[in-house]
Parts: sequence; structure tokens; C-alpha cells
Amino acid sequence: MDKKGVVITGMGVICATGKNVEEFLDSLKEGKRGIGELTLFDCSGYPSQMAAQIEGYDPLDFFDRRELRRLGRVDQFILIAAREAFADAGLGSATGDGEGSGVCLGAGAGGMLSAEAYHRQLLAGKRPRPSLLLPFVPSYATDRVAEQFGLQGPRTTITTACSSSATSIAYGAGLIAVGEVEVMACGGGEALSELTFGGFCSLQVMDPLPCRPFDARRRGLSLGEGAAVLILEEKERALMRGAKIYGELLGSSLGGEAFHITAPEETGTEEARIMREALHDAGIRPQEVDYINAHGTGTILNDQVETLAIKEVWGERAYQVPVSSTKSMIGHCLGAAGGLEAVVSLLAIEHHCISPTAGFERGDGVCDLDYCPQPRKAEVQIALSNSFAFGGNCTTLVFGKEDLWA
Amino acid sequence: MGAVAITGVGVISPLGTGKEAFWKGLIEGHDGIGEIAAFDTAPYRSKKGGLVKGFDPKASIHPLKIRRLDRASQFAIAASKMALEDAGLAVGEDVAPERTGIILGSGFCGVVNSEAFHCGQVLRGPGDLNPILFPNTVPNAAASNASIELGIKGPNSTVVQSFCTAEAAFLFACQQLLANRADVIVTGGVDELSAFLYRGWNELRLTGWDAGAGERSAPYDLKRNGFIPGEGAGIMVLERRADAIDRKARIYGQVLGFATAGGSTHPDKQVARAISGALQRGGIKAVDFIDGAGNSAPRLDSVEAEGLRLAVPRHLHEIPISAIKSMVGEGIASGGMRIAADLLIMEHGMIPPTINYEYPDPRCSLRVVREGLHAPIRSILHTGISLDGTYIAILLGRVDGVS
Repeated sequence: MDKKGVVITGMGVICATGKNVEEFLDSLKEGKRGIGELTLFDCSGYPSQMAAQIEGYDPLDFFDRRELRRLGRVDQFILIAAREAFADAGLGSATGDGEGSGVCLGAGAGGMLSAEAYHRQLLAGKRPRPSLLLPFVPSYATDRVAEQFGLQGPRTTITTACSSSATSIAYGAGLIAVGEVEVMACGGGEALSELTFGGFCSLQVMDPLPCRPFDARRRGLSLGEGAAVLILEEKERALMRGAKIYGELLGSSLGGEAFHITAPEETGTEEARIMREALHDAGIRPQEVDYINAHGTGTILNDQVETLAIKEVWGERAYQVPVSSTKSMIGHCLGAAGGLEAVVSLLAIEHHCISPTAGFERGDGVCDLDYCPQPRKAEVQIALSNSFAFGGNCTTLVFGKEDLWA
Repeated sequence: MGAVAITGVGVISPLGTGKEAFWKGLIEGHDGIGEIAAFDTAPYRSKKGGLVKGFDPKASIHPLKIRRLDRASQFAIAASKMALEDAGLAVGEDVAPERTGIILGSGFCGVVNSEAFHCGQVLRGPGDLNPILFPNTVPNAAASNASIELGIKGPNSTVVQSFCTAEAAFLFACQQLLANRADVIVTGGVDELSAFLYRGWNELRLTGWDAGAGERSAPYDLKRNGFIPGEGAGIMVLERRADAIDRKARIYGQVLGFATAGGSTHPDKQVARAISGALQRGGIKAVDFIDGAGNSAPRLDSVEAEGLRLAVPRHLHEIPISAIKSMVGEGIASGGMRIAADLLIMEHGMIPPTINYEYPDPRCSLRVVREGLHAPIRSILHTGISLDGTYIAILLGRVDGVS
């Protein structure tokens, strides 16, 4: 069977540094950091009060009160990003090809924030409103997107924590490649919640300052929130209709480390294997990669292992390929991270601009690659994006300029 | 299609642990549902659930590890081990770890840990948090713990899709095999019923209760009034059919076709579209048996019945249908147990009953099987009907029955 090409024809985002792609792009070009005091809930007792919260977010700017009764914060983010992505792709809700389109989104904590409100009232002996539990199942948002945009084909919600939305892109593309569907909405969303915030604090991997990925002084991650939706489309179809094409998903790989529920395998061999598999799938040699969008969480171990893995794949050339962490600007958006970072990778290709690892000053004995402390002008034809999650779930995506082989 | 074969089955269920106990319970029509003693149900109108029986984690997991694993992870590990053993495959010996994948549907696994962790946050404050709990709050903990325990390094994912959760995982697994991303994939569903979840279902008024006819899971019955929450794991081993034939594996069945449909309007038509899509791909017009998603929910069961009527207008009344959720309840990933049942049904040539079916509902005009019966089963239509508008149909067949 001939594998069909998969291109990205629409993107939508909301995160701490932008409520749409244009704003986000401007922030990326400046290396703007969206990490600050967390005000969404009381976090005064925790060792960190930092997060990349979406400031000045008023749901009523986007939804009416009736809609909001049935939408959790993460569902709202996802719908906002989906609206932008479909409009950007020039595909309205009445595309008339609903059967040939589907949706696959990644989720992190899903509707945890609403469930926490419910649980908190319950523990206080009150009778909470049951509809707070409606968005609790992470597939809730996926079904809402399918409903609003008339997507009648495959629907799946990926729940592998920090790699969810990267995996959603790999799977969505896989469905297009075999001719199962022509259009897939992929990506994912995350809303900050006290459970995840306290959870990462309990693991002592939260930086009390805004996170500093790959920097010698790094002390952990900063959490973030937001959503990214990407419209994946069968290449021939996109070309036929003259759609704007951001780039092509050339290859992907998803695997497991089978090592530990939270810690990465220390030598980086497993992460290196996943990157190699994705490059092999894309038919790309390591030296052809112009930019690595790292998982780069900011924890001591993660950044070290990812650096080792890059060195294993690229060898001496590892020092020549620019590496940067989007999480330095928008925090770790868990279920949305892979989707947002896919958008960053595609924007790098489109705008010939590599966004920085903001706040990076100096590396250490292991982390000594080119982490791009400043935004940089560069021709990016091929970008690789890593997402590594709890449970050893690793996903790597390889994006390329659409007319790469022309 | 027909390119994917199923060669191993592992089950942990309210009817018992292991495929033999599960099958015996099914075919004899045992009721796996009972009063819940594990937590207090006094505040709710529902009192029953389908809790796993006969499960001893020590039988498959090292005692020192058991304490660190939540029940969902224990189910996933034990059932995956059973399925791989049943398939005669040892990861690392018969198949490379990197070419073995695991893709599980997980309903609300991790919720029990989330609840416990959040209780600590609210009641004891941020100063004293238990770091053991948090890593297992993620829904992928079950599949990941199983991958660690079994040394599986290939495609690893966890999905959820309302009541079609295990079916969605199964389709993902098929796609990975057909795209040659792995040679063997462990897939299915795992659910853990927790007190918080039970409360949630009750608060949303979705569960069955005693309104005079008893609290029971009664799919397609006129007096059904909600589903009975359940738990367990149903896990399968999938391979490409050619590989399975090459290694002379015992093949339970093959995947003939599948289709997903969705939409909030005209759900019956969407169900019909999924079913027609699966039948069309399988290239067959009629099946020998329908494994119904019927879970005793008033609306969903009728939507399913109407969808079946639209998709199979002429033969529907000749085709026996049975819903095993009458015996095991509804966990949102119980599609895994149902697929396991489908394979055993083809193997034994027997159809298990839909228990508690007493008062036929004109809106569910189906040939519901009340007593277990013998019949050669070459093909099965498996329907997945969800609460939020996702519908999946899977067509399974015997390898020697349908080409």
C-alpha cells in the first residue's frame, strides 16, 4: 500500500504567551516568557508558586454562559484552538466531508480542575453540582470538537500524560497515511490543576523560579496550560484545493522505555532509539535535521538524559544542531505540550526562525549543546520534536518543509 | 482487511480471573454483579457493582512490587501476562521488545490515586504530600507499569473514548500493526471501580437502581434504568495474520473490518453508519452473532437497537444478540472483556445469555439470547456505543470461516 503524504494546513493555539498563533509567534520571536505567579488557585503552601498560567483569560470572550456550564477550562482551551485551526485551514464546520475527517486529541489531567472543585466541596460536607464531573473523562473535549466541526470519522483521545498530544499527531497522521481519512484534527489541551501542581511538587521536580531548561542552575520544571490543535490533511487533497501548507509530517515514532514509571533511562539509549526510529521513518539522516525542539522540561535528570540521547544520535554533530526548549517560555503544558511544540516546530520552518531556550545562560558538564539562548534567524527545512512522558512513553515527530523534495 | 489476527487472551473479571473462569461464568449465565462491600454506598440509590473476583496479584506479580502498584496496574500486568502466555509469546525471546507494543484503553484508572492525593492536599495541606501516589494518577500508569513489568519497548499508548475506550485502543493497535510499527501488540481495556467514580456515576444519574424490578444490569429489557458500574481487564495479543500463520499460532480470530462514526444528532443513524462501514469493509452482509454493547442504559440500548435495525434491515431478527454487560456491568473500557468474550464464543461455538432479560422492549426489537446456545459462529459484529457520541463497530471472524 502506498503511504500518503500528510501535511499541516491549519493551526490554532492558546497558551501563556499567546491566545492565537499570531500572538504566540510574536512571543516566540522575542523569546517572551509567560511564567509567573500562579493565581488560579492558592499555591502559597507549595515550594513553588510559579506557573505559565493564561493571564487575562475571560471565558466569556469566547463562549456564552449556557455553553460554559458544560465546558471545563481545558475543554474551552481546546475549542478555542480548534476554532482557530479550522478557520486557518479554510475548513468550516460545514465542510461536507465529515465522514472523511476525524479527531484525535491528547489529554493530560483533563477535567481535573472541575473535579477538584467538586471534590473540595464534597470534603467540606457540601453538595457539589454534579455537572462539574461532566468534563472529567478526557474524551469529553474530543467529542465536543467532533460535534462542533462535524467530524464524523475516527475519534480517539490519547492519555499518556506529557506525550499525549505528540502521539495524537502520530496516530492521526497514520490514519491519513493509510487512506482511512483525509482530514484529522490533532493536538491536545491542558489546564493547570492543584493535583498536578501538588503532584510535581511532591516529586520535588518543581523549580521555585521560572524553569531554566538545560541551564546549570536548573532545579525543575514550571507547569503551564493551554491547547494546540493542528489540522492534518492528506497532501494531494491539500495541494488540489490550494491550501496553505505549513509543513509535512515526515515521520514519527512512539515507544516505551520499559524502565521506570517516572524516571527516564539514565544513559539516554532509549530516547535515542525513539529519535532514530522517527528519523528512519521519515527517511532522514540525522545531519539533515536543522532544529531539535527538545522535550526540555528543566528537571536535572530529564535535560541531562535528553542531551545524552541527542549526542548518541548525532555524535560530534550534536554541537552543530540548534536545540531549544519551548517549555522555557510556556511551561510544561503536559497534555498540550507535544501539540504546542509541533506548532513551534512548524513555525520555525515557515518563518525561518528558531525560538530560544529563554533564560538559558550556561550549561554544565553534560548539557553543553547549542541551546539557543536567543531567538535566531535560520533556514529550517527539517525539525524534530521530542515528547517524553511518565511511564517511559516517548514520542518523536519529524516535520519538514512541504516542498522539501521538489 | 483480515490482516490482523488475535492469538492470545487474558481476562480479569467480575466473573472470575483467567479465561476459563470467565468463560464458565459467561456461558452459565452467572451474575458477576453484587452489593458493594469495598466502599460505602449508603448515600446513593445504587448499591451494586461488578467487582473483580478471584484475583490474586501474587500469582503474577512479585510480592515486593504489589504494594507499589495500584489495582488497575495489577490488572493490566496480570491480564497482559496471561494473554502473552496464551499466545505462546515471550517478549525478548519470541519477539523483540522494540517490536512489541502495548496500547490499552483505560477508563478512569488512576482516579483512585488522584482522589487519595487530592484528599491529602485538601485535608492535610501542601506540606505533607505522598510522592508515591502521584505517578500512578496518570491514566497511562496501567499500560506503562505493564510495559515495565513485561519489557515491552515498542509503541506504547493509552487511550480513552467514553464507553468505546477499549474499542478505540483496539483500532489504534490494528493501525500500528498494519503500518508495520510493531510485530505484536498487547491491547484491550482495563478499569478500576473506585468510590469516587461510583459516586460520580450516581450523581450524574446514570446508574441502575431498584425501582421495583430489582437493581440489575438488564440490557434491552423494558425495565432497565441505568448501568451497573463494573471493572476488570480484557486484554488480547494481536499480530499480523501472516506472521501468526507462519509461526503456527493458535488463532482465535481475525479482524475483518471496523468503522467509527459519531455525531450528536441522529445517533441511531451514526450507529448504523459505523455498523455498515464495518460490514462493508469485511465484505459480508450478515453475521452469525452480534455482541451488543447494551449496558442497561435506557437511551443507549434503544439507540443501539435502532442503529442495528437501520444497518441490517432484513436479517436482524435472525441474528442472535447477547450483551455480556448483563453479567459484568459497565466499566468504560469493558469492550476489552467483550472482545475476549467474542473470541471465546467463536472458539467454543456457543453464545452466552443476556441475563436479566425478562420484559421485551419494543424499542429494542432484537433476538436477545436468554439461555446459552450452541451455534457455529464464524463472524461476530461487535458494537461500541458511547455516551458522548462516539460509535465503533468491529467485525471479527474465524480464520477458517471467512476469507
